[in-house]
Amino acid sequence: MENVDQSQSSAGATDSSCRGTPPCRFLSTCDGLPVGLADAETIFALSSGHGRCGVAVVRASGPASATALRCMAGLSRSLPPPRTALLRSITDSQSKEVLDRGLVFWFPAPHSFTGEDSVEFHIHGGPAVITAVLQALGSVPGMRPAEAGEFTRRAFQAGKLDLTEVEGLGDLIHAETEAQRRQALRQMSGELGHLYQDWTHKLKRCLAHVEAFIDFSEDELIEDGVLNQVDRWVCDLQAEMEQHLKDERRGERLRSGVQVVIAGATNAGKSSLLNTLCQRPAAIVSPIAGTTRDIVETALDIGGFPVLLSDTAGLRESQDLVEREGVRRARERVEQADLTLVVVDCAHLPSDAQQAAAFLQEHLRSVLPTQEQPETVFAADRFLLLLNKTDLLPEEQRQKLDRELRRVSGFPPVCLISCHTNEGLQDFLTVLHSSVKTLCGDPLSGAPTLTQARHRAHLQQCFAALAQYQRYRDIDLALAAEGVRLALTSLGRITGRVGAEEILDIIFKDFCIGK
Amino acid sequence: MLTKKLPPLNSFLSLVSRRASHVTRQQYDVIVVGGGHAGTEAAAAAARVGAKTLLVSQKIQTIGALSCNPSLGGVGKGQLVREVDALDGLCGRAGDWAGIHFSILNRSKGPAVWGPRAQLDRQRYREFIQSELLSTPRLTVLEGSVEELLVSETNPEQPGHHRVTGILLANGSHPVSASSVILTTGTFLSGSLFIGQSTSPGGRIGDAPSSSGLSHTLKERLGLRVGRLRTGTPPRILRDSVDFSLAVVQPPDGHPTPFSFLNTRTHCKPEEQLPCHLTYTTPGVERVVKDSLHLNCHIQEDAKGPRYCPSIESRVLRFPGRRHQVWLEPEGLTSDLLYPQGLSMTMPPDVQLSLIRQIPALHRAKIHTHGYGVQYDFVCPTQLSPALQVKNTQGLFLAGQINGTTGYEEAAAQGLWAGVNAARCALSMPTVSLSRTESYIGVLIDDLVSRGVTEPYRMFTSRAEFRTALRPDNADMRLTLKGFEEVGCVSTLRYQEAVRVRDSLQDAQATLQALSLSSNSWKKQLPDIQISEVKNTVMTGMEVLQYNNVSFEMLASAFPESLSRHMEFSQRLKIEAVYRPHCNLQKKEIERIQKEENLLLPHDMDYLSLPVSMSQEVREILDRVRPSTLGAATRLQGITPAAIVHLLNYVRSAELRERRKHRKQQKEEREEELCAAKASLP
Repeated sequence: MENVDQSQSSAGATDSSCRGTPPCRFLSTCDGLPVGLADAETIFALSSGHGRCGVAVVRASGPASATALRCMAGLSRSLPPPRTALLRSITDSQSKEVLDRGLVFWFPAPHSFTGEDSVEFHIHGGPAVITAVLQALGSVPGMRPAEAGEFTRRAFQAGKLDLTEVEGLGDLIHAETEAQRRQALRQMSGELGHLYQDWTHKLKRCLAHVEAFIDFSEDELIEDGVLNQVDRWVCDLQAEMEQHLKDERRGERLRSGVQVVIAGATNAGKSSLLNTLCQRPAAIVSPIAGTTRDIVETALDIGGFPVLLSDTAGLRESQDLVEREGVRRARERVEQADLTLVVVDCAHLPSDAQQAAAFLQEHLRSVLPTQEQPETVFAADRFLLLLNKTDLLPEEQRQKLDRELRRVSGFPPVCLISCHTNEGLQDFLTVLHSSVKTLCGDPLSGAPTLTQARHRAHLQQCFAALAQYQRYRDIDLALAAEGVRLALTSLGRITGRVGAEEILDIIFKDFCIGK
Repeated sequence: MLTKKLPPLNSFLSLVSRRASHVTRQQYDVIVVGGGHAGTEAAAAAARVGAKTLLVSQKIQTIGALSCNPSLGGVGKGQLVREVDALDGLCGRAGDWAGIHFSILNRSKGPAVWGPRAQLDRQRYREFIQSELLSTPRLTVLEGSVEELLVSETNPEQPGHHRVTGILLANGSHPVSASSVILTTGTFLSGSLFIGQSTSPGGRIGDAPSSSGLSHTLKERLGLRVGRLRTGTPPRILRDSVDFSLAVVQPPDGHPTPFSFLNTRTHCKPEEQLPCHLTYTTPGVERVVKDSLHLNCHIQEDAKGPRYCPSIESRVLRFPGRRHQVWLEPEGLTSDLLYPQGLSMTMPPDVQLSLIRQIPALHRAKIHTHGYGVQYDFVCPTQLSPALQVKNTQGLFLAGQINGTTGYEEAAAQGLWAGVNAARCALSMPTVSLSRTESYIGVLIDDLVSRGVTEPYRMFTSRAEFRTALRPDNADMRLTLKGFEEVGCVSTLRYQEAVRVRDSLQDAQATLQALSLSSNSWKKQLPDIQISEVKNTVMTGMEVLQYNNVSFEMLASAFPESLSRHMEFSQRLKIEAVYRPHCNLQKKEIERIQKEENLLLPHDMDYLSLPVSMSQEVREILDRVRPSTLGAATRLQGITPAAIVHLLNYVRSAELRERRKHRKQQKEEREEELCAAKASLP
């Protein structure tokens, strides 16, 4: 509940609603139209921070809010009294399935955070419930997932925020878009990202070829087969998207908690750390270097926050093909991690404390992603340095090392631990907890379910738009092209926008235009 | 419109020269420099708005000349012609008068992308334009060369800001003064001509180069950034020397469709139209190009040429090993010449001849005039406002190729809009702009002023986001009414016609909407149609008309008493029915953009020191481009959402301050009145 209060105070600076793509042209109204008339679309989002919590708050704002409340809370006759808690069963309006039992609130315009008709669902905080409620909201006509910071912007546009607070809003949006850019990058480097980029690329080509056929075929040599090619592409894309939309498992995997990755050289004790943290032998541990070859994942609850902990293969040059693949995956995982635990075997440190610091600095560079900027390499909130096997170090040397490392600036937080004796583990857990808390409590890190809901909504629009292409293909090519454009716009909301110039560039690359 | 008799050309000339003698002693509202497509539309539009206008052209005979291809319209370009006509411009009616081969391109691809196009008789086109200008009240035409653009000294309070005061003619001792000046100098700004290895100054072969004074003023005095572009024209070929048996005949449409909303027929009778011919290049063409590259300095220069209308040299170099289309287009009903579309070239004359003879139908062709290339300066159009006024020079407007565009239609559209605004400016009326949501002209101008150009800019339908709403059939509904009511560039006659059309269309649509039957009854009425809806669904006439194989004629014959009186608009009604659902979907997006367009950003905003947190990069972009609206700002590359919020905030608080100030003033005035009233009491 804290999160809700937070998002309603302080210039709404914690509109945690959404992540994904940077918002584009979000200023839906600028001329002070009456509230509610400004934007006919109704938006919804998980408004509480993510993480396993007792209660989650899902908020909707816009004209269809009342409809959503009516059909999901079984309030067919009348709306509840304004701003009063009401305990209801929350159902999916289409399947009639009961999703949860929780509190609902009705905030009629203009007495709401956004100044529009708004509703809130206070539901149980499990990811399954949240996902189900968000999906149910998405199926109500006129509803769509909110763009980044959209609740706050609507509040601003409705004059709910003082102009002096806008400076903060601008900075907030900057931070959001920056965070989104990072997240998008991370997602884009993964399997899913490749898929979306591939689709975007194919759609761009489809559109470019249709546009070329429209704008140039009368005068130029545009082969007749161009449209048949587009037909095939569109058909393939539709099949792929349909398959993808059915495959919920992959969506779940996309973001299901804070991604914490254990990385380091072979035999540093990474798997032991994993086993210690999850308190069961999840990973095989042996004194043989290179025991762990694939990623070992386990879900953890660190002080109430969901964490997906991954153990990775030790980083070293290897001739073994399997191990090399393991190392490649380990590096990929580190690049996508929210938090990386770099594990180092104390015994390998030079005995001189100063040299040890230099050694560690070098070591960190070798573990961390190469494309990271040097100055951000040791960003405190994204890396923890764990010196393992302290039980093998004389007490005096250990203290010297500890002191020396604390002196060196530009280092990530350092913990000296022993997975063998559990020494230092409690301190490490405190540090880990606070890091995870920062990551989760950071409203910008977004909710995984929401990211999914947004993706799904855009993908569904994209899929539907392609059907428009097929419907008009032989009747009206302008309307068919409009379908491909819409599809590209929808997909573009996940992967970034596509402008007319870009389409023209493809046209001129693929065709010999010259009348 | 077509019934009017064209006055003989010589009477036109005599009138012009008579006026020329006293022209220099006068004061004008608007002076237009240049008599091409941009200049003629600009002069006519300025005069229609009510400005006392002077058109200065180097040569009276070349006013309205088609310098390059003898054709008008096409895909995207045809939309511009329709819009210029809807705003009462000249080129649509001139095309109807001079057209000798009409066709609608893209006929099979949907009415939104139909491209009305015509081959023109060069002489007829020129005569029509000249005659129109002659009969335009408030417009004077003068033959002369402009030596210098006159601008005021900079205002110390606004460094770098000037004001246009008039022009200085080459041989005239007196300056001619005006509040607004429109430059439409085409390729003449520091233009050079290229054939083979020789170059000479000029903008068009046969015409004197324009004075360097103009170019100097723009660059040095006003500090405008310029770029360099290139273009070219093909050799003209003697018709008698062409072997048409080796080319494919391309007949015109059987029923020519006029460009203009005012015309129901074209001047040329359907059966009088001339065909075009299509032929192809051969490997021999490629060989000649490659062998003569060292003799061809135009192609070696690095000025940017158009990607979509390239010279034959760039075509075969970029796409070797292919055959390329060559269209043989008539230059007029009585002309002996053909225009080989697609053979623009700049090689030496003897090589030009050997190249064209590699083409089957041209194997014994003779060249009348050689092809040549032109390189010219253009003014980076991001320095203009959406009214096409130079931002730092009050009263100076630019239109046409000088802004980096290519094509008659693009020039005409800009000319018209610059003319409108130059006149409004001179007459102390606020400038007006067209949104990209309502017209191709708006798309064109917005692209130019907010994005600039890197190569000659040509219109394509794919540039218009709202293409399904910006159709050639509805340009009058989009622009004529506004053109009369808000802009003042449309005659009463045309306005009344547009109002009649609007009322009829609305009436017909209301009738169709009210025609509500069950799908079963529709099936009985229209037995040949597959209506897919379930039996008892109620459908309106509008909905039934959306079916692919239902025409308005079919509905009218089923319900003659209510619908037959609307037969005049059968095609428009059909198009409207099909497109309306899609346009409605886009409406929200359009409204949102329009709201952003309505939020004006002050011209004199000091972005570099605006007291908000904005990155230096963003500040520099804003400072360089100076978007005139928030909408334009959002379309700039590199502008972050956060910057937009700051801009919005700034504008809003400025409004607030303004309102407070206003209220305070009012209060003070009231108090003063009160005091005065008290004082006047005995």
